[in-house]
Amino acid sequence: MSPAVRAISWKLAQALVVVVVIAMLMPVIYMLAMSFRTAEEITAQPLGLPTQLYLGNYARAIEGMGYLRSVVNSLGITLSVTVLVAFLGSMAAYPLARRANRFTKIVLLIVALGLATPPFVTITPIYVIFRNMGLLDSYLGIIIAFTALNLPLAVFFYTGFIGAIPKELEEAARLDNCGPWKIYWYIIRPLLGPATATLSLFVTLMVWNDFTYPLLLLTTPEKFTVMISVYRFVGNLNIQPDMLFPAAVLGSLPLLLLFVAFQRRIVSGVTAGAVK
Amino acid sequence: MRDPRSFYMLTVPALLFIGAFFLYPIALSVQMSFTDFSGVGDADFVGLKNYDRFVSRDRYLNSVWVTVKFTFVVVTVQTLLGLIFAFLLHRMPAIRNFCRAVLFTPAMMSFVIVGYIWQFIYAPYSGGLNALLEAVGLGGLSRGWLGDPDTALYAIALTHVWMFVGYTTAIFLVGFANIPRDIEEAGRLDGAKSLQRFWYLELPLLAPSITINVILSTVGTLKTFELPFIMTRGGPDRATNTLSLEIVNNLFGSYKFGFASALSIIMLVIVVVVAVVQNTYLKRRENNQ
Amino acid sequence: MPHFNIRTLGLATAALALGTVAQAQSVTLDVTAWKGNETEPAGLPELIEAFEAAHPDIDVELSYISRLDTDVVLPPRLQGGNAPDVMMTDMPLVKIWGGAGLLADLGTSSDWYTRLEPGLVPSVTSGDATYIMPLEVIGMGNFVNMGLLNSVGIDEAPTTLDALKAACGALDAAGIKPMVFTGGFSAPLFTIANGLEASEAAAADLGAGDATFAENAGFGGAIDEIRALIDAKCVDPDAQAGLDPWSSALSEFKAGNFAMMPQGAWNIADFSSVEGLDFAFAPIPSGKASGVALDLFGIGWSISAGSENMDAAKTFIEFFAEEANLQVMLDAESAYSPFQGGASGMPDLAAPYDQSRIDGGVIMYPFAVLDWPKPLEAEIWDSLTGFLLNTDRSNEDVLERWDEAVEDTL
Repeated sequence: MSPAVRAISWKLAQALVVVVVIAMLMPVIYMLAMSFRTAEEITAQPLGLPTQLYLGNYARAIEGMGYLRSVVNSLGITLSVTVLVAFLGSMAAYPLARRANRFTKIVLLIVALGLATPPFVTITPIYVIFRNMGLLDSYLGIIIAFTALNLPLAVFFYTGFIGAIPKELEEAARLDNCGPWKIYWYIIRPLLGPATATLSLFVTLMVWNDFTYPLLLLTTPEKFTVMISVYRFVGNLNIQPDMLFPAAVLGSLPLLLLFVAFQRRIVSGVTAGAVK
Repeated sequence: MRDPRSFYMLTVPALLFIGAFFLYPIALSVQMSFTDFSGVGDADFVGLKNYDRFVSRDRYLNSVWVTVKFTFVVVTVQTLLGLIFAFLLHRMPAIRNFCRAVLFTPAMMSFVIVGYIWQFIYAPYSGGLNALLEAVGLGGLSRGWLGDPDTALYAIALTHVWMFVGYTTAIFLVGFANIPRDIEEAGRLDGAKSLQRFWYLELPLLAPSITINVILSTVGTLKTFELPFIMTRGGPDRATNTLSLEIVNNLFGSYKFGFASALSIIMLVIVVVVAVVQNTYLKRRENNQ
Repeated sequence: MPHFNIRTLGLATAALALGTVAQAQSVTLDVTAWKGNETEPAGLPELIEAFEAAHPDIDVELSYISRLDTDVVLPPRLQGGNAPDVMMTDMPLVKIWGGAGLLADLGTSSDWYTRLEPGLVPSVTSGDATYIMPLEVIGMGNFVNMGLLNSVGIDEAPTTLDALKAACGALDAAGIKPMVFTGGFSAPLFTIANGLEASEAAAADLGAGDATFAENAGFGGAIDEIRALIDAKCVDPDAQAGLDPWSSALSEFKAGNFAMMPQGAWNIADFSSVEGLDFAFAPIPSGKASGVALDLFGIGWSISAGSENMDAAKTFIEFFAEEANLQVMLDAESAYSPFQGGASGMPDLAAPYDQSRIDGGVIMYPFAVLDWPKPLEAEIWDSLTGFLLNTDRSNEDVLERWDEAVEDTL
């Protein structure tokens, strides 16, 4: 093969890969296209582009879902959980990253178990516990539940991250007779920015997308997260496409926009978390 | 040098939290699994009755089998697809970042929404997939994808793979990027063809990425119940009734908290055993390379 | 600037006085229901408005919770002592919640209790307590697209199996799909109606395990009858697999793609809103001339035992027992009154179903009156779905699964 032919066939191969990859986006495009079509159009013509920019579906969905309120709820819960998880997780990770002995091994084992446990295994007892503590249907309850779910991941994550921080920084402080708490607060904590950014991503994904916990723990519509609003609005019987698709778009749009804005950092952050 | 006690005190807040909202609930679950607790009223101790029911009825063993099948299909397809995409994109720097981002997009979405959308795509009459098949002249293949027990589980598995293949690809790409340059160069000087280079040089060095991908997707797949819950409710005739869905249905449909707790414990044991076995086996393979 | 005179002043004072009284004892009732949303309003929005107008001191907060979610969302609230004051319930829920002491006993001396249809009295009475005030009895029968039947020269909805098969032959010959027969709902209605009609054993005995389905000639016959329907071209079993009884099946019937569909009367209002859909609501065709009217005692109101607004809650549910008020709901739902002499909300298009009830072809849906345990329902849906996908299975194969489900609940 001459180099010119090779170059062209390489270009073609690349084009083909791009086409295949974009085909993977079809369901997302389908969702967007459907959301602007009336129910009649969808039934008559399942595949088809919107003939007009029909926004009636959206108006009804935003109204019916209590969308804005639930976005605020999701944001507030995300922020609280991130702060809690980052603080508790990084503090616990510091000794775990610096010492390998029986105590730290056991702690890490428990944390690993926490990572592998399906969330619904603990939901029944958590119910009972929350009931006794009066935490059902409260922001505090859902924040605690999500913190408990994300904490094992955070401990692991920070343990790996702190392990990569050179020890020399601490040595100097130790010679100055600083206690562990001071070293953590003044030396380790300021370095954790990138890890916390990635972790906040995991928390955001979970708080926005999980629907088991908020479905069970929250009962007043004013406290619903976005996903529960979608689920309740769409219902689980007699699903109407003209209600479903706009609700689906509204439910995923915030995260998709966030992703478009920060895609490179998000992908590398999430994978770094896994590879560590 | 002895650590001051306050050094380990730093882990205490997190430990308390994990103890109260993770370990204690699991202990309660174990306790509940020996009762006939129905979620309301009192619980009576019934010994091993719940566990006995699990082994004496086809449907629960069947749900374990469905779970295994589902997980196996998802993990195999997702790992292979991710590997193929990463292999290609690693060699195509011009389009790498764009494609990686596009593939990753579905992972940003919620199971609930993905389940709803794909339910529509698979719908028998006005569904997107059948309409597409008709359009390209393959109308003979169209069917109710989720209503046919032969295809339902695979249809859901495909949806699951679609969601997370970008994740797998991205992890493999990091693996490719971590291959030392001099090895790459040596391969090139030998005039090794792309595929040979992959098979003999890259694949062995990708072993850690394979381990991570397999374990992450296995645990992730075992854990989910949302897609079958939304898309088929376990049907048709239990063809997609995974163990996790069985647990959720016992909790929330038929008020069998005690039995659901027993199923949860069994599930937990399965997940932990699978993760440990995989980890040990794959790590050993890595070290024997 | 409003202009003042003695009269406005008097009104203002009266309003102020009323206001303070209302302030002093205004009560907010927390009510949940799986009706009252956009798709099944059941007249609740206007009834609640009327109730609040009649009782200015009571403010009703209605939350919609679907029937499936009811099982998920309400038990923790009941158990946790923050249950709604008034909840929509059905008998399976009453059995569990009432049995656990979480529902208020409404007693047997109330005016509405004495007016109950005698057939319902044993169902709603648990021991010597009553935990539910019934709202409606709703028919489950066969929706028939009369336009399609007329087009092949048939002018009456079939009520017997023979008439059904004849209609199917004619429809099939004309290229019209005769029948929706989803394993998840339509097939079970057909099987339960025909099985119970021909069964020697009482429904309650089958549900209690005293008689088995596997040895029951009636139910074996009903399953044979499904095979006969397939032979008669009524049902294409493979096409049913892709139909969800609660979504695509309904749209298929609405679009006129199928001529018949066993389903519940609560769909009548929705179907009636479809332009040009000429349909009738008929009994389920059976071996009897009358066909079977399968009555579902569906929904009622219950009050939580821990309600702090017991009086207001009782006032609320009694409001629904008044004939004129209940009629609004019955009309919206196309349902029958659970009370003696109560009118029905059935429109004319349901005349065939009404006739069947008069001719004595009524069977109570056994799950709704607790003759059969709730878990059996899902088992019947599953097993009939499996049967439609593979009709070579023996009747025993299908029916033994039913017996197993019953056994599991004993």
